[in-house]
Amino acid sequence: MNKKKIFKLAKGFRGRAKNCIRIARERVEKALQYSYRDRRNKKRDMRSLWIERINAGTRLHGVNYGNFMHGLMKENIQLNRKVLSELSMHEPYSFKTLVDVSQNAFPGNKKVDVPPKKEGLAILV
Amino acid sequence: MTTPAVNFSGNVKKALAGLRRINLEGLRWRVFDAKGQVLGRLASQIATVIQGKDKPTYTPYREDGDMCIVLNAKDICVTGRKMTDKFYRWHTGYVGHLKERSLKDQLVKDPTEVIRKAVLRMLPRNKLRDDRDRKLRIFPGGEHPFGDRPIEPYVMPPRKVREMRPRARRALIRAQKKSEQQGDSKTRKGRQNEEAKNELSV
Repeated sequence: MNKKKIFKLAKGFRGRAKNCIRIARERVEKALQYSYRDRRNKKRDMRSLWIERINAGTRLHGVNYGNFMHGLMKENIQLNRKVLSELSMHEPYSFKTLVDVSQNAFPGNKKVDVPPKKEGLAILV
Repeated sequence: MTTPAVNFSGNVKKALAGLRRINLEGLRWRVFDAKGQVLGRLASQIATVIQGKDKPTYTPYREDGDMCIVLNAKDICVTGRKMTDKFYRWHTGYVGHLKERSLKDQLVKDPTEVIRKAVLRMLPRNKLRDDRDRKLRIFPGGEHPFGDRPIEPYVMPPRKVREMRPRARRALIRAQKKSEQQGDSKTRKGRQNEEAKNELSV
């Protein structure tokens, strides 16, 4: 009866791992370990994906993620990253107002602009 | 830069290669002008655009970056002594046959390879890397055969220069004062070497 359960869980595996019990048992154990670990990893990955999306959305308006979040914290806006990423994808105008709010609260750091000298091929030729 | 295909001298077949494989609907065509840009900084911006990381709809498993056209690849710049001292190395597989070529020679031989290698080495090494390579079109001159598409030029973001460390800053000020005292009679090579030294110390 345990073999039946193992084969049920081994559907879609590659090669002998879906048909032969000795190999299937090992692979299924590993698969269950991975799924345990990845249930925890999924939360991390989703959060980092939200952060990447928010970063892209704010950089369209000239602000980077760090300054944007700092401004939101200052204004005590408690929207979480999941909601912010959804807004940046589907509600661009609302997102723009959030970016403006954040910029009012925290304008950003000062910029220094003295670019160093660079040489192209023309100098050597 | 919107010249029709007739004026384009160069391999039109190579430029249009593999366009059918890319799903082109909804993608923008961004044009980068490499004239006077620093190699790595330009390549990093191109890599971000090609991955699609500047769009809020970025998905890691789906390839959604814009088509990138790079013009004037032969006018790419580097700082320091990299023009003569940066080597591209590769091993042919035979024992002892490590070949190398400097940036200068590579620019003479094929200027598009410099930018292509730089961008490709900045992309993540996964299954989407080849598709992203297909979206990148580099031309050594200033013309491209994609004049009939809706083209958007890419404006590079302003350069964020790191503040200099105090010791390097004092050295720079001392060097500037010395050059002011000695006047403008210094040779051109000497001035270049001094500025190269200043960048190396930054």
